[in-house]
Amino acid sequence: MTPEPIITASGLTRSFDGRIALDGLNLEVQQGEVLALLGPNGAGKTTTVRLLNGVLAPDSGRATVLGLDPATHGDDVRRRTGVLTENAGLDDRLTARENLEYTARMRGYSKTEARDRVNVQLDRFGMHDQADQRTVGFSTGQRKRVALARALLHDPDILFLDEPTSGLDPSATRDVTDLIGSLAREHGRTVVLATHFLGEAGRIADRMAVLDHGRLRASGRPEELAAELWDGIPADIDLGGPPTTRVVDLVQSLHGVLHTVPRAAGLTVGVRDRATMAGVLRQLAAHNIDVFGANLRRASMEDVYFALEESFTTESVS
Amino acid sequence: MTTLSTSPADVPANRHGRDWPVIWAIVGRDLRAIRRSKAVVLPMMLVPILLMVVLPLVIGYAAAQASSQNNAALGFLDAVPDALAAEILAQPPQEQLLRLVLGYLLAPLFMIVPLMVSAVIAADAFAGEKERRTMETLLHLPISDRDLFLAKLLTSYIPALAVTWGGFAAFTVVANAVSWQYVDGLIVPNQLWLVMVLWVAPAVAMVGLGVMVRVSARASTSQEANQLGGAVILPLIFLAVGQSTGLLLVDLEVSIGVGALLWLLALLLVWRGASRFARDRIAAST
Repeated sequence: MTPEPIITASGLTRSFDGRIALDGLNLEVQQGEVLALLGPNGAGKTTTVRLLNGVLAPDSGRATVLGLDPATHGDDVRRRTGVLTENAGLDDRLTARENLEYTARMRGYSKTEARDRVNVQLDRFGMHDQADQRTVGFSTGQRKRVALARALLHDPDILFLDEPTSGLDPSATRDVTDLIGSLAREHGRTVVLATHFLGEAGRIADRMAVLDHGRLRASGRPEELAAELWDGIPADIDLGGPPTTRVVDLVQSLHGVLHTVPRAAGLTVGVRDRATMAGVLRQLAAHNIDVFGANLRRASMEDVYFALEESFTTESVS
Repeated sequence: MTTLSTSPADVPANRHGRDWPVIWAIVGRDLRAIRRSKAVVLPMMLVPILLMVVLPLVIGYAAAQASSQNNAALGFLDAVPDALAAEILAQPPQEQLLRLVLGYLLAPLFMIVPLMVSAVIAADAFAGEKERRTMETLLHLPISDRDLFLAKLLTSYIPALAVTWGGFAAFTVVANAVSWQYVDGLIVPNQLWLVMVLWVAPAVAMVGLGVMVRVSARASTSQEANQLGGAVILPLIFLAVGQSTGLLLVDLEVSIGVGALLWLLALLLVWRGASRFARDRIAAST
């Protein structure tokens, strides 16, 4: 039996001053899943996060989060979700520890519990040295870490992260991405990751949902979407230079090869399956054509996103 | 792997009463932050110190110089009801100025203190959250709209009352210290001051708050809120000081009535502010 989704949205719609920000969103997220919510600025990602947390009420449609309607049980939903907003939202007149402790107190923990929970998070993010400094001079990375610690204070069942790594240096980005991945894999947390950064999303997300002008344009696993976008599996063949027409024709004529694209260093081919790839390599060897490398690759989230974005642009032009 | 339930039965029940620990946590955070903000604390302390400490000292000095030929009190007596003027004129020259200014004239002027303090802090508490971009974080916490509004109200109201009453306590000490050698007994508190401080001032503070709650909904920074609020509050101050001096001076019943009207206005403003303080509306504007 398929488990009940932890998040559902059905026809979720919201507009501001007559401008539609989210238009009939239908979405399901399973427990323990990492969903990458992708799209350009103004696509409706932040509005989706706000609607799912009951911070905004929908004009029409309905959502459930943990079995509850956020529009009517907002506080109960927010008690079990953690949100990292795009802006860290720290009060710079307070220290990092005070920012965290007050949030814990606002979540209903006693002073002692709040202190203990804050210490756990400061350990997790290696921030004990800066804990008693006011956040006013903090770098973007430090601010993000405090804000992420704040979102995790109460061990939320679902974590909504709006641009969690924007402004972070590469090493901090890797740390945060690893942490998000481990929260889902080892702790069963569900993560909704709204981001522009396709590389990091690709590393940790199970599924992607692409919003454009408030509408959900595609959702699914990257490989499923890739299969809808392109026939076959893409593969790069390194021939040490541009291929001759004879080589291109030879490869194109082989059974199971769907398309060929000449490149500066060789060929990119679309093959029906792995066995086809083996056949291509055998034939090239049989014709004494040197092959320096061959890579059968899975379409990345980035490949899929840009292909989808291109298709939206083509649609809007036509 | 941890198993999570999605059953609503596992979720804490929606609370219908006020969640006081959470409300006090917000108030505590805000008050601590305000104490560290010079831009808020300095103007909040300057006016009460001038009115409640420096001015009584100046009046005390002027009273010491007063004589039947050089009596500053005579200049003010035109603005005072005849009965009070006659009562004051029966006193020695030094006592005339002290009784008139410290005992009566300063009382309505003192209402600037609760009005200003509540307005400055309310601007910081409501519009300041938007300016610092911390409001969205608050909106994502499990706090009902009413509790959040109440917390913000208390954040502004508690310091307004504390500064008003603390200022009055300081004034009482200074006023009696400068007048003890000319006046028998204590010059303040008298009945008028008690009504003003305990009944009218809390209402005035609430009016300031009510105005700023409304104004802050439209402003995006506390400075903008202060400017907009000042445009509403300053004419009120001049009107109150100019028009009510004579009325509020002596007639306790009128003072109590004016206080009641101010309470009515304050509660109306706050009630309207509360009804417009909705998460959705705030989130849509941030």
